[in-house]
Amino acid sequence: MPDHLASFGPFRVDWISWAPTLGNGILKTLEFTFASFVGAVVAGLLLALMRESSVPPVRWLARIYTEIFKNLPLLTEIFLVYFGLASLGLRLSVFEAGCASLIVFYAAYLSEIFRGGLQGIAAGQREAAHALGLSEREVLTRVVVPQAVRLVLPATTTMLVDMLKSTSLLITISAAELMTVGQLIASTTFRAMEVYFVIGVVYFAMCYPLSMVSLWLERRLKAGTPLSPRRRHLIAQVRLAMPAGAAGGLR
Amino acid sequence: MNVGKAEPHVAPDHSDPAGPPVVVRVEKLVKRFGDTRVLDGIDLAIRRGEVVSLMGQSGGGKTTLLRCINLLEEPTAGTVEVGGEVVSQDGESLHRASRVQLRQRVGMVFQSFNLFQHLTAAENVALPLLRVGKVDRADAVRRAVDLLARVGLADKALELPARLSGGQQQRVAIARALALRPVALLFDEPTSALDPESSQEVLSVMRELSTEGITMLVSTHEVGFALDASDQIVFIDRGKVAHAGAPRDVVFGSASERAREFFAGFVRYGNGNG
Repeated sequence: MPDHLASFGPFRVDWISWAPTLGNGILKTLEFTFASFVGAVVAGLLLALMRESSVPPVRWLARIYTEIFKNLPLLTEIFLVYFGLASLGLRLSVFEAGCASLIVFYAAYLSEIFRGGLQGIAAGQREAAHALGLSEREVLTRVVVPQAVRLVLPATTTMLVDMLKSTSLLITISAAELMTVGQLIASTTFRAMEVYFVIGVVYFAMCYPLSMVSLWLERRLKAGTPLSPRRRHLIAQVRLAMPAGAAGGLR
Repeated sequence: MNVGKAEPHVAPDHSDPAGPPVVVRVEKLVKRFGDTRVLDGIDLAIRRGEVVSLMGQSGGGKTTLLRCINLLEEPTAGTVEVGGEVVSQDGESLHRASRVQLRQRVGMVFQSFNLFQHLTAAENVALPLLRVGKVDRADAVRRAVDLLARVGLADKALELPARLSGGQQQRVAIARALALRPVALLFDEPTSALDPESSQEVLSVMRELSTEGITMLVSTHEVGFALDASDQIVFIDRGKVAHAGAPRDVVFGSASERAREFFAGFVRYGNGNG
């Protein structure tokens, strides 16, 4: 361990040599988060649509699923998927098991959020779209989904941040993510306070910008600011076609 | 029981075979919700350029009648024709593509405006042009702003609905309903959710449209508007046409007791407003 680092304030761990290990841990955490989030959004959407189904058993199935997995601790779900299924002969890799348990858990929560979003759109919005002669598909893609996305975005990004933090529970199955790496460094250097402090800072550095981005997005959506270049272009065209001197409206 | 049958539904000049073509024709229309007959044999004919006011107590079936014309509700029985084409007959209505086509030819204005909340006024008007009318973007934008100008709101083109007053929202909704140049406009109590001032602002736009020859079927409680802007009032009572005819006849001298009761307040006190 180089001496000049050993004397840097209260920091005694040689972080430069640990950097690659730490970096791998960060990457792994992001991989788990990304893969599980995509999976949970898809599954959550599916469950939300099932909850709105006209076929009662389909609704019940989704309801039962949601209630079960919302009310089990995530750690229990991780153990069930990784150790439980293995004992039944279904041996998943750590990555598969980690993602599967995160997806199963967060899909339940996201489905509730998405269901709220779908229900939050007044029936009149769909009717107006139908009355204009939009096809079923256009009603969904042009009117329902854009508004539902605006409604569910804040809660969904909160879930994303929560999920990123929850990947730390995967330490229990040695998932090689950030927390597992932290434990490895701590047990090698015997500097628990310093190591877990740094690990905490890294988690914070990943989560805080995500929260900020979601707040920023939320504010822009609320103000109606166009996010897609197509819409921005259309609005610019409208401004050109408007009478000169008209003030106000979207920037 | 069948009061409607005993009286002429259509004023004499409207039955003139040489007049403008009938744009919307409804015959023996029945709509049941469960055991309730909301519409019980409605007959109605609207010629091109005509303004017809649908009046009657709330819950009498006016809204359902309008919704059966653009198939937001499925008629249970009877015939609905739009522009000479049968859209519903004996409980069989147009499906999918042809239903979508029908709706492009009939504009609708709702009581609660129903502007798309995530889009600006101009985008609300441009949406049907872009999606349904297959108009290119530059053209759609120009037409949307022109339509907004027609309802006096060109300067609000980039406002979101939430930032517009009720009257302004309803005028945007009218512009949106006009976008696809429909053969007829259906108004479902367009001013019921508005304060008197906003109502006047919307009614004056509607008056202007009527002078431009737009065919309109208007469910309304605005007796003043019905009297001086419409060619015909159809008074609906418990799912039947109780009286249809020239506005003054229906308001001031209806043979239908229900209609007389309905208009009594107006005849006594309200003359001349609106």
